[in-house]
Amino acid sequence: MIDYFERLSRDVRVKEGLKACMNCGICTAICPAAEFFPYNPKEICNILQTKDNKKIEALLKNETIWYCGQCMSCKARCPRENVPGMLISALRKLSQETGLFVESSKGRQQYAISKTIAESILKSGYCVHAENVKPELHPEQGTVWNWYYNNLEEIADRLGANYKKHGPGSLRLIGKKNLDEINAIFEVTGGKKFLETIHSYSTKKAQEMNLEIDDSLNSPYFIKTYTEDSDQ
Amino acid sequence: MEKIIYTDIAVIGAGPTGIVAAYNLARLGYKVSLFEKEESLGGNILKTYKLFPNFQSSNELLQLFGEMIVVNNLSLQTGVTVTNIRKDNNHWISTTNKGETIVSKAVLMATGFKPFDAHYKEEYGYGIYNGVITSLEFEKMLKCGEIYGSNGITPEKIAILNCVGSRDAKVGNNYCSRVCCINAVKFGIEIKEILPKAEVYCFYMDLRMTGQFYEELYRKSQQEYGVNYIRGKISEASQTADNRIQLKAEDTLLRLPIKMTVDLLILMIGIEASESTKELSAQTGIMGEYGFAKSHSLLKADNHTIHPGLFIAGTCKRPFTYPETVADARAAVVEIQHYLENKT
Repeated sequence: MIDYFERLSRDVRVKEGLKACMNCGICTAICPAAEFFPYNPKEICNILQTKDNKKIEALLKNETIWYCGQCMSCKARCPRENVPGMLISALRKLSQETGLFVESSKGRQQYAISKTIAESILKSGYCVHAENVKPELHPEQGTVWNWYYNNLEEIADRLGANYKKHGPGSLRLIGKKNLDEINAIFEVTGGKKFLETIHSYSTKKAQEMNLEIDDSLNSPYFIKTYTEDSDQ
Repeated sequence: MEKIIYTDIAVIGAGPTGIVAAYNLARLGYKVSLFEKEESLGGNILKTYKLFPNFQSSNELLQLFGEMIVVNNLSLQTGVTVTNIRKDNNHWISTTNKGETIVSKAVLMATGFKPFDAHYKEEYGYGIYNGVITSLEFEKMLKCGEIYGSNGITPEKIAILNCVGSRDAKVGNNYCSRVCCINAVKFGIEIKEILPKAEVYCFYMDLRMTGQFYEELYRKSQQEYGVNYIRGKISEASQTADNRIQLKAEDTLLRLPIKMTVDLLILMIGIEASESTKELSAQTGIMGEYGFAKSHSLLKADNHTIHPGLFIAGTCKRPFTYPETVADARAAVVEIQHYLENKT
């Protein structure tokens, strides 16, 4: 078994965020995620300080590490200066690196977010581009958005945007030079490799689940990861 | 006009420690000058109603103090602050804010503690919402025999929160204040005796029932008085539309976040080094952790300091309960006697 704790303890967020927990529960009490989801920041500290790799592995495969919204309220409260929110960041990173994220439905959404947000940045220069907010993936936007989406160009023009054109203004086209630079940053900082890791583990999982996967936002695996548990 | 007082021992602080030490030194035949910065003697006991674990009346103790200080050889000055102490050859020179100089063979610092200022834990809404009070303000309510909540009327639901200003790195106090757990148990019983129908919830991280009768009193509060204990620290208090206090905590034994609305929140404020303790310790170079005075050796010479002739006793050193601080005062008397008779 991988020495997960050893790998975590090299992460600066664990060095900073794990002191000694006395289980007072003040973090869980203030945690907005704990109020609604099966997530308990105190338990994260508790498990990590056991240094038990079996328990840590279970955590890396679990839904629970994906509920934290990183508001860091726990940091402001803990009387022992632990920061469960930072431990969550480190656990997520390790779960991504080791591929264990595909073992939970919330973890599998890493694929969906890499295909939407991350690839959107690389292709268009925008994290969220109106063009990628497909109505069928965003039922919460309602029918108005459907209409808006189908008439994007015309509406953007009327709202004063410079839609997909050169020059200043919102939703403008990002030039090749800038896009190349963004891509180079992702290359040099390991962002590209990181995305490849997500994709490679996701591809394996898709095969295991007998779901087709391709580069698009329409593949059955993408739709599955995107919509799974979304009503819960 | 400058006034010089010659004495054997200057005792600074007329709380329980200073009084018991001064009284016993005087009974041994030494000339003792006792100084108290407040107008009344008794120190922090003055702010209490009854003491744990046996509900001893504070007034009775204060009466006893009043009787003790009339012993021969003891002179007490209240409303006088000792602002400076220093060594001059074989003598100690203390100066007061009234311009007096006290020349003594030994000095006993019994400058005590100050209660934690609950304003620093802003998340509990102290000084912001009605109905959030400190343990000492609750003692005052008990003294007056009237408990009222955020709406000014008799509370139906009361929460007590332990460790406010103690065991908390966020306020720089990593230590346990020793007295609050059992005091919270005492409060639970006192509330139920006055308001039998009130629901009482005591929030704690650990209940440290270390003293004699503490555990028994804890059990009694549950079994006979129906006080509820919830293991979890409150994360914040806020005001509701109907002017009550809403609390958020985790019931760590159920592992679930909880919300609770109460009429009164009592913050069990911890013990910190008093201003005099910090100032005189700093001047003499004996300041230890958290501003408390540091003894020469915790296990071997706990009333001595690094300076021969300068002694310390009571809560100027660290948090103590009442019996502990009085025992420490008596121990200091023996050490001072040995010192004055050149036995050490």
